[in-house]
Amino acid sequence: MSTSAICIQNLTKDFAVGMRGKKLRAVDDLCLEVGDNEIFGLLGPNGSGKSTTIKIILGLLEASKGTCEIYGRPSKLVDARRSVGFLPEAPYFYRYLTGRELVRYYARICMVSRTEIDAAVDSVIKLVGMTEAADRRVGTYSKGMLQRIGLAQSLVHDPQLVILDEPTAGVDPLGSAAIAEIVRELKHRGKTVLLSSHLLAQIEGLCDRVAILHRGKLVCGGRIDDLVEEKDAESLVVQGLSAEGRAVVEAEIKAQGGRLARVEKPRLSLDAYFLKEVHERENEHVNKQEGG
Amino acid sequence: MNIIDSFTRIRLIAGTTFLEAVRQKFFNSLLLISIALVGSSTFFQQFDFGTGELKFITDFGFGALFFFGSILSITATTQLFFNEMENRTALTMLAKPVYKLEFLAGKFLGAHLLMLCFTLVITLALSGILYWREMALLERLGNELILNGPLIRYGDVFLFGFLQWMKFGILAAITLFVASFSNTNLYTIVVSFFMLLICQLQYIARDTYSGMEAGWERILVMGLGLMFPNFQLFNIGDQLVFDAEKTPALSTVLQIVGYGVIYTLAFVLLAQVNFRRREI
Repeated sequence: MSTSAICIQNLTKDFAVGMRGKKLRAVDDLCLEVGDNEIFGLLGPNGSGKSTTIKIILGLLEASKGTCEIYGRPSKLVDARRSVGFLPEAPYFYRYLTGRELVRYYARICMVSRTEIDAAVDSVIKLVGMTEAADRRVGTYSKGMLQRIGLAQSLVHDPQLVILDEPTAGVDPLGSAAIAEIVRELKHRGKTVLLSSHLLAQIEGLCDRVAILHRGKLVCGGRIDDLVEEKDAESLVVQGLSAEGRAVVEAEIKAQGGRLARVEKPRLSLDAYFLKEVHERENEHVNKQEGG
Repeated sequence: MNIIDSFTRIRLIAGTTFLEAVRQKFFNSLLLISIALVGSSTFFQQFDFGTGELKFITDFGFGALFFFGSILSITATTQLFFNEMENRTALTMLAKPVYKLEFLAGKFLGAHLLMLCFTLVITLALSGILYWREMALLERLGNELILNGPLIRYGDVFLFGFLQWMKFGILAAITLFVASFSNTNLYTIVVSFFMLLICQLQYIARDTYSGMEAGWERILVMGLGLMFPNFQLFNIGDQLVFDAEKTPALSTVLQIVGYGVIYTLAFVLLAQVNFRRREI
C-alpha cells in the first residue's frame, strides 16, 4: 500500500471545561504522518495529548480543527475502522468470558465470516502466546495476560493498522519483552503499528520512528538514531587495554586533532540485564526438569 | 451501513449486556424480593373467601411488578451503561467498526431483555399463586363460583405483564437518554425517577389542555404533555383479570404497543444525539 497509514494535518482538539466552558487545548496544530508497515511511537508525558490523538484517529472524538485520515479515508467514518485494531490502556474485558470466547466475540462484532472465525481466533491466540490459557476465564488473568488477550482481540479481524495505547503499562519486563516481540512479528507480517508510551526504554529498540508530544504540540519527530545520536562524536569500545596503551591512544587522538570527551564503562540497560538473568535461570530450570 | 450486519452487532451487544445484567447481584436480589412479596401476598389479605381474596393478590402482584420493575429498569439500565463507560469496555467496542447507535440499541435491548425475564418470572409467580388460591376457593365453595365462568382470566394477567414490559421499555429508553448526557450514576437514577413520576402523572396535563380554549397556552400545555408518555395508558386495569367484558380489544392493545414503541424509539434516538458528541 503506497498511501500513508495515518495522515494528520493541523489537528487541534479543544475541550470545554467547567460551567463557563473555558477551552482546554489538548492537541495543538498537530501534523503527523505514519507510513505503511512502520512501527511508530507516539511519546510524551502524561497529559501531552497522546490519548486524545489516538481517540481522534479511532473516530471516538471529533477534531475541533484539522483532518485525520486512515489509509486515505477520514478517520471519523466507521468504515475506516475496518482496517484498524486497537488495544486500550489497561484494558478491561467481560470477566465471565474465557479468553477464546472474548476474542471470538470481538471477531463476530468485526464481522469475521463464520468459515474463517475459528482459524482467525486460533491464529491470534497462538500469536500472542495464550493458547494454554485461552479456555480460562478472563477474570483469572494476570495483567500481562490481559494485555496479550487484548492484543489478540485487536488483531482478530486482520487489521492493517494496529494502535496500542500504553501496551506495556503495568506489565513486568518479561511481559513487556513478549509484547515487543509480538509487535516486531506484526511488522514482519506487513502491519503498521502505532504505539503510545511514556516508558521510553521499551520503545527505543522497537520503533522505526517516533514523535514526541508536549502539551499537545509536536516537539520533534523522526528516526530514533537521528534524534539521539551525537553527530560530532564516536565511541570506541576497547577490551584488554593496558594503562600505557591507553596513554598512547589518548596521545594519538590528540595528535590527530581529536579530543577525548569522556571515558566510561559500557553497560547493559537494566532491562536487558534483567531479561538476560531471568532467561538464563528459566533455561536452567527447564533443562533440569527435562533432565530429571 | 449494512442492515443485516448492524442487526448482528446489535444482537451481539444485547447478548453480552443481558449476560452482564443477570450476573448482577442487584437483579437477583430484586427478583427474589419481588417473588417473595408476590408469594407472601396471600398472607396479608382479609380471608373473606370471595373473589376479594383473588383481587387482593392480583393488586398486590401487579403493584410489586410495577414498583420493583420500575426500580430495576432504571437502575439496571444506568448500571449497564456506566459500567461500560467506567470500565472502558465501550472504548474497545467503539474502536471497532461499530456505530454508536448500534451500541446504544444493543445496551437498550439487553436491558429490555432483562426486564422481559423479570416480568415473565413475576407474572408466572403471580399466576401460580392465583391458581393455587383459586383451586382452594373452588374446593371450599364448590360449583356455585364456576357458574359465571372462570374466576381468573390468566391470559389477561400475561397481557397486563406484557404491557408493563412495554412501559419498562420506555423507562429504559428514558434512562438511556438521561445517561447519555449525565456524568454520574446517581444523577441518572434521580432524574430518571423524576421522569417516571412525570410520566405517571402526565394524564393531568392531558386533562388540563383538553379543558382549555384554543390558543398558544393550549398548544404549550399540549406540547409539554406530548413530550412525556402517558404511563397510565399501560395500566389497563387489573379488573380485566376478573371481568371478560373489560378485556380490551386487540386493536386497543396494538395501539398501546405502537404508542410505547414510538416513545421508546424517540428516546433511544434522542440518546444517540447526545451520545454522538460524548467523549468516550
